[in-house]
Amino acid sequence: MSGGSARSLGKGSAPPGPVPEGLIRVYSMRFCPYAQRTRLVLTAKGIRHEVININLKNKPEWFFKKNPSGLVPVLETSQGQLICESAITCEYLDEAYPEKKLLPGDPYEKACQKMVFESFSKVPPLISGIVRTQNKEDCSGLKEELRKEITKLEEVLTAKKTTFFGGNSLSMIDYLIWPWFERLEALELNECVDHTPALKLWMAAMKKDPTVSSLLTDVKTFQGFFNLYLQNSPEACDYGL
Amino acid sequence: MTDDATRTLGKGSIPPGPVPEGIIRLYSMRFCPYAHRTRLVLRAKGIRHEVININLRNKPEWYFTKHPFGQIPVLENSKCQLIYESVIACEYLDDAYPGRKLYPYDPYERARQKMLLELFYKVPHLTKECLVALRCGRDCADLKLALRQEFCNLEEILGYQNTVFFGGDCISMIDYLFWPWFERLDVYGIADCVNHTPALRLWIAAMKQDPTVCSLLTDKNTFLGFLNLYFQNNPGAFDYGLSC
Repeated sequence: MSGGSARSLGKGSAPPGPVPEGLIRVYSMRFCPYAQRTRLVLTAKGIRHEVININLKNKPEWFFKKNPSGLVPVLETSQGQLICESAITCEYLDEAYPEKKLLPGDPYEKACQKMVFESFSKVPPLISGIVRTQNKEDCSGLKEELRKEITKLEEVLTAKKTTFFGGNSLSMIDYLIWPWFERLEALELNECVDHTPALKLWMAAMKKDPTVSSLLTDVKTFQGFFNLYLQNSPEACDYGL
Repeated sequence: MTDDATRTLGKGSIPPGPVPEGIIRLYSMRFCPYAHRTRLVLRAKGIRHEVININLRNKPEWYFTKHPFGQIPVLENSKCQLIYESVIACEYLDDAYPGRKLYPYDPYERARQKMLLELFYKVPHLTKECLVALRCGRDCADLKLALRQEFCNLEEILGYQNTVFFGGDCISMIDYLFWPWFERLDVYGIADCVNHTPALRLWIAAMKQDPTVCSLLTDKNTFLGFLNLYFQNNPGAFDYGLSC
């Protein structure tokens, strides 16, 4: 059991012990899209792991020893090695656990996935911006920008003529961008994929993937979390437990 | 003289033909720090290559078929495959070409180098802002303070690791990825930003002894000549120092 539904640890909690051999630990938060990338890769590759959820609105002091920036996700190995930054954790897992490779072996195909990832990079801050904006006017500007970025991704997919961003099977790049598309419905941003048929097909195909569906969060739960999170409630990270 | 000492191509220029087999082409500009990263890797790995310099103030129309926004560096191989973003280009070269590996083999050590790169991300923007401020006669004390703080973070890493280079006792990819901005500190007028970071100064000295770094060093006067023309918006800036 991955323990992904465990209550988060907050200020005053005891630091966890060392990671047992044969296991890798991910410090996470159930609703964090960046940490979801790492959990998707761990699950897709069948890597034995344990999850420790962190209360991001009430961080334990010991967590800053794992990552001075206090952000999730962080990987910790049984040798005490720490890896931060979601994309770096995902690539580390793909290299350290050679079964079921998610990144292509061909150097050019791998570079292509990284170029698509760069193309995608404006989407997360735009969505965060939309989530935080109360003002309808500022929101519509951000939504317009988001539509533009999403159109770029549609162009990539149509140019490739494949279902997924890396070809006809699901691969690393699909997992890296999925978490933000999963949240569109809960954020009432489905309109942003109105004019992007290839992306809509991709989203439907992603939802059928066993790894993606095993980690899917329903709309109501997301919305419950977002409400509490925007109010800075220390209960947000454990919503639904 | 480096292998990229050729005049830039600008608007109205004829698009270059396909890349011959056995070599890789780099679209570049002699003074661009991002392209400098890729040139360092090409040289360090001994990769046969040709360089086409682009006039960044007068970009050839055909260049937008190589990069959607006309940026450099871009790699083009004989299969017409295009790779851009300097870090992606450098990693591609390390993966695609045999021989000396610049990234470590160990997955954790590779991840460490990528985490170090994240630590560096504010430096290019800050050094450029300092340069622009100084050239426009504006005060840049705040910017220099911010830059010194970034350098302190890097100094801490070297102190903690107790190694000469950022990847260990030998030069590796991360050092080459950082280097172009440190080479420019003096000519940008901000060399004093490393006054309080001795380990970083030792690293700079060690880097200057590396044969690859050495072979691509641009002399100060040539750089100043470029900067003077660049800040006068002279499109001839990019070819400054070429003999013909």
